[in-house]
Amino acid sequence: MLRTIIAGVRARTARLLLSSVAIMLGVAFVTGTLVLGDGITEGMRDEFAKSARGVDLSMSTTGEGPQAETGISQATLDKVRSTPGVQGADLRTVVGAAMLTQSGKAKPATVGPLASTPELREYDLKEGRYPTSPTEAAVDVRTLATAKVSIGQQITLLDKQDGKHPFTIVGTFAQGANSMSLAGSEHFVVLPEVMSGLTDELHAYGLVAKAAPGVTQEQLVADVKKAVGEQGYTFRTGEQLTTETLAQISSRSSEMTQVLLVFALIALVVAAMVIYNTFTILVAQRTRELALMRCVGASRGQVFGSVMAEAFVMGLFASVIGLLGGLGVSALMQVVIGAVSDDNIVVRLPLAPTTVLAAFAVGVLITVVAAFLPAHKATKVAPIAALRAQLDSHEEVARTSKVRIAFALLLGLAGVGVVAFGMNLDEEQALLVTGTGTMLLLAMVVTLGPVLVGPVNRVLGVLPRALFGVPAKLASGNAGRNPKRTAATTAALMIGVTIVSLVTVVATSAKETANAEVDSRFPADYTVTSSVGSRTLPQGMAAQLAAVPEVAKVAPVAAFGVPGPADGGAYLMATTPEMIGDLVKPKATSGAITGLKSGDVAVNSRFAERSGLAVGSTLTLGADATKRDLKVVAVVEGLDASGLVTLDTLRAFKPADDGFDSIMVKLRDGVTAEAGRTAVEKVTDPSPIAVIDSAAETKAQLNTQVDQVLAFIWALIGLAVVIALFGIANTLTLSVLERTRESALLRALGLTKGQLRLMLVVESVLMAVMGAAIGLVLGIGFGGLLVKGMSSDSFPIAFAVPYGQIAVMLLAAVVAAMVAAAMPARRAGRTSVVAGMAEA
Amino acid sequence: MGQSMSAVASETSRVGTQAAVAANGLVKVYGKGDTAVRALGGVSVEFQAGRFTAIMGPSGSGKSTLMHCLAGLDSSDGGSVHIGGTEITGLNDKDLTKLRRDRVGFVFQAFNLLPTLSAEQNILLGLELAGRKADKQWFDTIVDVLGLRDRLKHKPSELSGGQQQRVACARALVARPDVVFADEPTGNLDSRSGAEVLDFLRMSVRKLGQTVIMVTHDPVAASYADRVVLLADGHLAGEIQNPTADSVLSALKHLGA
Ligand SMILES: Nc1ncnc2c1ncn2[C@@H]1O[C@H](COP(=O)(O)OP(=O)(O)OP(=O)(O)O)[C@@H](O)[C@H]1O
Ligand SMILES: [Mg+2]
Repeated sequence: MLRTIIAGVRARTARLLLSSVAIMLGVAFVTGTLVLGDGITEGMRDEFAKSARGVDLSMSTTGEGPQAETGISQATLDKVRSTPGVQGADLRTVVGAAMLTQSGKAKPATVGPLASTPELREYDLKEGRYPTSPTEAAVDVRTLATAKVSIGQQITLLDKQDGKHPFTIVGTFAQGANSMSLAGSEHFVVLPEVMSGLTDELHAYGLVAKAAPGVTQEQLVADVKKAVGEQGYTFRTGEQLTTETLAQISSRSSEMTQVLLVFALIALVVAAMVIYNTFTILVAQRTRELALMRCVGASRGQVFGSVMAEAFVMGLFASVIGLLGGLGVSALMQVVIGAVSDDNIVVRLPLAPTTVLAAFAVGVLITVVAAFLPAHKATKVAPIAALRAQLDSHEEVARTSKVRIAFALLLGLAGVGVVAFGMNLDEEQALLVTGTGTMLLLAMVVTLGPVLVGPVNRVLGVLPRALFGVPAKLASGNAGRNPKRTAATTAALMIGVTIVSLVTVVATSAKETANAEVDSRFPADYTVTSSVGSRTLPQGMAAQLAAVPEVAKVAPVAAFGVPGPADGGAYLMATTPEMIGDLVKPKATSGAITGLKSGDVAVNSRFAERSGLAVGSTLTLGADATKRDLKVVAVVEGLDASGLVTLDTLRAFKPADDGFDSIMVKLRDGVTAEAGRTAVEKVTDPSPIAVIDSAAETKAQLNTQVDQVLAFIWALIGLAVVIALFGIANTLTLSVLERTRESALLRALGLTKGQLRLMLVVESVLMAVMGAAIGLVLGIGFGGLLVKGMSSDSFPIAFAVPYGQIAVMLLAAVVAAMVAAAMPARRAGRTSVVAGMAEA
Repeated sequence: MGQSMSAVASETSRVGTQAAVAANGLVKVYGKGDTAVRALGGVSVEFQAGRFTAIMGPSGSGKSTLMHCLAGLDSSDGGSVHIGGTEITGLNDKDLTKLRRDRVGFVFQAFNLLPTLSAEQNILLGLELAGRKADKQWFDTIVDVLGLRDRLKHKPSELSGGQQQRVACARALVARPDVVFADEPTGNLDSRSGAEVLDFLRMSVRKLGQTVIMVTHDPVAASYADRVVLLADGHLAGEIQNPTADSVLSALKHLGA
């Protein structure tokens, strides 16, 4: 028997290779996502581990006592340093500064002190050296690239008062972080004593110490506790710190891995369908051969075994290649992410045993499981089938369709039920439950596939028939001749397209809604903001802008969080009283915002709900000296803060803060956007941090973000779609082989080579469009359901269909199908008529 | 009986001095070098229009090869073939395809029909490929003579072997080709179904003036023809006019088949 199997595999090498491609891609995708997830985790681990490495004791403030406000003081550090058993200690702190770029505009930057104890540094030197004088700085290698500076050059940092601090760059360091694990501002390291010059409120959030040789971490903690007192501090040993930080990462990165796994699952389902389909066809084509084996005395078990053994060998072989491919996929994705985020990244390819296990589980198990049904079917082949001339599957479809419809009905009912239930839930839950419901409905359509193929094929066949005549007619007949096969082939693509269009519809809807909101919320033409989050715009700028002749009105906006007396607190936004209801006008759901006076507040509806506020009630904010009662005069929607107050109300909570977060500018009627921008720029140009946003630019920024996420998802599902297209090419190739005689007959009767090729291309396109069209209809419908489910009265999302993108998808499906048909068509065209007729 | 029948045939316009199909020194070699097989070693033969000719010979004598070369299905390695005055040996694939479509009809031993098409669609397939309309009267005549009227909507899988071959005959004739080639058209049929098909082919020659060239192993089938051409080892080995089953059998014995 083994010899027969090996001979069989040899004889069908080409077909098996082709079929293996589906498995390889499936395995590659699953391992690719797993490796990517592990890579991200490893990146984060490295980064976090650096903050804990070398540390024997870590001290942080608890939020009580004076140090909660001021951070850990220099005096405390000195006390720790002089404690016996301490080899070295350093404060951990960062200062938000601004880095002056070549364009003269500032970019947010983070500056940290160079730890005096080398073991306590959270970063590694890459090139040059660490700063040794107050005018020197080391820079993150990534900053070096983005800021386009090099060692030996000068860089200028700005403090809060726009004071300039020039530094010479003497070295670069790596933080062990990559772009995925650490979001972007620029990083610098300077001598500790320089830090206080950059800010007047240096806040050390932590203190780390290294133990002298022979001193245990516990001993060290006990000694330091004694020296500085326990009040207001949390102490951890280095080990505790490490475990805690690592726990933090795994929970964060596992979320990412989960998302990736969902996509891997989709790819898996698609790959499984393609594999299943391939084996079904392979067995169908070998019916005569298997029957002959039965004729000459092979038992059912032997026939079953031979098909399964073949599947096993194929799965094993494909898994190995797929695993290697997966590493490539992962590396590629990391490079792409790096390119998109404009960052030089470290490509990590950790190959965990679980990944290898998953690869083989997927490749071998799925193949064997997918082959089970066909193998079982093979045992049912009657020996006389060897003698029968033609095999047709029509009756088979008719026989199973009742069971099929009943099962589909069940899935449909369950799906509708779950969707209906999801509709009544809140945002995130609605997304999950409604999403599950739509997947049930998708399963229903997949189950109904063979029944749907006939009618859909007839409808779709109309256009090509009208365009191409007889070859298209033949193609349409071919696409519909074996409904099960066509359904299984197109289902893979349908699933992929459904999910792509669903995600796209949801994202587009969210985007459009956000855009509409930006429009309604920004009645101003321009908004001047600070490019550095921690830095506000100077007080005088509002007046300067108001004095520009082209400017009609100006609304300076300030915002910050104000603590509450007991718990919570509120994030308040403020502008001048005249501008409330003018340039700043959130929609009031009760009360009115016009005429909002000092001491009044208009609260966000969600905040109102959470804090039990309504028009007329009182909101108490502030602590001690600044404590104050605010009168709620309105409940509003579409406010990016908990409450809206007048500027003087806000300033009373934090008199030291006198800058603005943004200044809205409305141009006089008749002033062109260009002239207006030039006029505004005259005021903002001297300030390095002031940048001008227009509503259009804000939208563009927002849309870029959504589009980036979407592009990532497209790339992920794109792989599933590629697998599905391979499925089509596969089916087509196998069908062409199966129909060699038929093709020869057609050629004998007068079908030209070109027409024969056209026939196959049309057949391929028909199958692809069948899958894509149903997928699009489902995806858009499901997207609509999800949008409806997530949307609520307080947060309505408008359903928007990206027609352009959908047209692109359909077109892509058509083109891809043509490409998929290229090989089989070439092959069919090459076979000579006589040779074709001779084929058994 | 052959005499009187050919007199009927000669009344139709198709019968002329010109041959419908002619081969001149036709050579076909399969393979190369040591393993080369000379399937046709210079065959010169003419097939008169409006006549029913059978090609016979032992297995491997080159019957199918000759037919394929005559019909433009396969290329030859020497000599020439004319169909209705057109030399086909120099034609490219596209022109050959056109020629087959417009001027040649085929009936093969098996797999004559496309499983996706109904009997009627199969009959009209050749015409459709040529972009021609069927002559309704002619179509009806053929269908009625072949007794396919109530089977037109059926798929091939729903037809018996004999019915399938009759549909193939109908398709071959519906376009009024210059010549119909049949490669063992009754090879898969029982003697009654075979007789029906052969009767029809003979009728189409005698009554309708068709030209039919048929490859067969069966002396009884050959006896339906006006003439039998004998092949042996890729060479012409004689011919019999107005054959009977007995005369064919004895001729074949002579060849050692
Ligand atoms: N494709 C091919 N490659 C090599 N040799 C071939 C090929 N086709 C036919 N032959 C050889 O050419 C010779 C003639 O074959 P052909 O098929 O014409 O015989 P035939 O008279 O039709 O036989 P049969 O009565 O068995 O059908 C044979 O010796 C055969 O082996
Ligand atoms: Mg033969």
